[in-house]
Amino acid sequence: MEVVHHSSAFLLPPAPANHHPSLSYALVVLNQRLPRFAPLLWQHAKLRLCADGGANRVFDEMPALLPDEEADVIRNRYKPDVIEGDMDSIRSEVLDFYIKLGTKVVDESHDQDTTDLHKCVSYIRDFTSDLDKSRLCILVAGALGGRFDHEIGNINVLCGFKNMRIILISDDCLIHLLPGGQNHEIHILPSVVGPHCGLIPIGMPSKSTTTTGLQWNLNGTKMQFGGLISTSNIAKDDTVTVHSDSDLLWTISIKKSQDRLHCQHHSYNFFKPFRSNAPYKLIILHARPTAASAMVRLPLDPYLGAPVMPHVENDLKRQATQVAEKTKEICSSKSLNDAQVEIRDCHGRNLLCHAVDKYNASILVVGSHGYGALKRLKRATREDN
Amino acid sequence: MEVVHHHSAFLLPPAPAGHRTSLSYALVVLNQRLPRFAPLLWQHANLRLCADGGANRVFDEMPALFPDEEADVIRNRYKPDVIKGDMDSIRSEVMDFYIKLGTKVVDESHDQDTTDLHKCVSFIRDFTSDLDKSRLCILVAGALGGRFDHEIGNINVLCRFKNMRIILISDDCLIHLLPEGKSHEIHILPSVVGPHCGLIPIGMPSKSTTTTGLQWNINGAEMHFGGLISTSNIAKEDIVTVHSDSDLLWTISIKKPQDRLQIVIWDPNDGSENKENLHILITYLPIFPVVGTAISRIFHHGEEDCHSDEPNSPHNNGILVVDSHG
Repeated sequence: MEVVHHSSAFLLPPAPANHHPSLSYALVVLNQRLPRFAPLLWQHAKLRLCADGGANRVFDEMPALLPDEEADVIRNRYKPDVIEGDMDSIRSEVLDFYIKLGTKVVDESHDQDTTDLHKCVSYIRDFTSDLDKSRLCILVAGALGGRFDHEIGNINVLCGFKNMRIILISDDCLIHLLPGGQNHEIHILPSVVGPHCGLIPIGMPSKSTTTTGLQWNLNGTKMQFGGLISTSNIAKDDTVTVHSDSDLLWTISIKKSQDRLHCQHHSYNFFKPFRSNAPYKLIILHARPTAASAMVRLPLDPYLGAPVMPHVENDLKRQATQVAEKTKEICSSKSLNDAQVEIRDCHGRNLLCHAVDKYNASILVVGSHGYGALKRLKRATREDN
Repeated sequence: MEVVHHHSAFLLPPAPAGHRTSLSYALVVLNQRLPRFAPLLWQHANLRLCADGGANRVFDEMPALFPDEEADVIRNRYKPDVIKGDMDSIRSEVMDFYIKLGTKVVDESHDQDTTDLHKCVSFIRDFTSDLDKSRLCILVAGALGGRFDHEIGNINVLCRFKNMRIILISDDCLIHLLPEGKSHEIHILPSVVGPHCGLIPIGMPSKSTTTTGLQWNINGAEMHFGGLISTSNIAKEDIVTVHSDSDLLWTISIKKPQDRLQIVIWDPNDGSENKENLHILITYLPIFPVVGTAISRIFHHGEEDCHSDEPNSPHNNGILVVDSHG
């Protein structure tokens, strides 16, 4: 049976210009606060649409996401190709600004029967002959949060266009449909998504769902509202497979980089009282994943093959350097001036062994990765024997 | 057929002490930002539970909703009766603070199979014999937003406990279940909710739904995901009726302060403002037919929410200002 592959590579930096990715992206911006990685999604997209008030969001909020540059420069750079919708939310000065820059405006105020997202997806499907629809993925920012009926209306668009790849994205998570009757392989990029995930039988009960790669796998299990649905699950492996008789919504959390730093602040407070006469040496280790491990094995996909590795590698190096610098700043702010910060290229679990071997560590302090202290201990013990 | 009545009176100030209300409320606070009217929900509730990190929210954010008062005073006043959950989010200083004040802590870290909300609803159902369950309504703050799987998990609690009244509330909207096979009457309080609303066939298609009172009524039509579901509808009348063969989620928007007008009663012949009458009229005004008709006049009252249309002029009668209901 045909396997359908899914990945969240759009949350990594785009491939170099001369490289042909396997998927091409369109971006739709709805009228909610822009996610913090909106500029990244924008870079990936060949086509950028704003649905009505989404244009206000780009105009107002894109400069705030890129504070090192002038607002005018940002506004000129991040110019939508199309603004579509019933035009009852977009401010007139925003509309004028983008019209002057050449944005196409499609006024659909006559159509009150479909949501703004529905209109945008129809537009992309019907009026963009230069995009290869078989390889198209529509990214949607601003579909979640706010009024619940809007959110559900947007999810209904996923169900109404189930032969198209459409991904709803917020700061906290992403959602897309896994149509029933197909074998789905979801490639987890652990540097950007997970581990919290869920499978939801939206619209009708699922008689039988089977998964691999989750903490709590389903095994021909029945799912329905009022009974079992899979929420607060954990993606354990880098590939999760799903097969179900009916359509399921897949959702997975998006990692926040500041969570790591917040925890560090709290941890280092412990050491503050000892800073002037410490009976220990404090060493802070950061595990930097390699590009190969971060990108995971993907099926013969030229986008995610060797040519892109150096760019992912560079980005991971840059992120790790930023983490190290931030860590040094935090230590300095707490007068922990003797703390040593080291970056090591390995998986987190190997880092623990390295710490003991190289530094003869007496005490290891590790993060709980959001699992909670007891759950994490149980997991680590089972995993590492 | 039995008619089930629904209303959102919990978004109005509580009735005066001597007045018997038909429902008693319990409040569950989950771990998301508190809605701006959290203090109002707290006042209505006979029982207040925090689910794990919800206690952090009350501790951190309740004082911010009362910037004119001391944080300590607020924290002592807004003390949960119970903190329940697996305790992996609540901060230790928050837990200690509430334990000292007498809050009961129920540690459920052994139970990884049910959500925090599920645990709280079970607790309310099973361990609160002094609450009359037939008149009980559980208000839930912090169930929406954040991770989508959490949100859906919370909605699933509504489906699992469909014989209990449970309402999920955020700054933007409220959601509750309309169990199948019953005639539902939803009383709209236009000063606080609406007009945007929706009916959602969560979990399974609905073969036949019939409504009245909406802009786009449904007349025996089928609803299912991938096809028609009722979103971005408008509540036109003060009572919306719904009857369906399957469970539906009802959702309606909550008005933001800037969408509402202050309702003021001013009798220039009476030196005072007669606050007691003011209160009662605000509570019961929405059921008067006069609500929903246009504004006649706005007079400056000296309070910041009102604005002036013409200079104060003497009248012999009290002036009633009403909301135009959109």
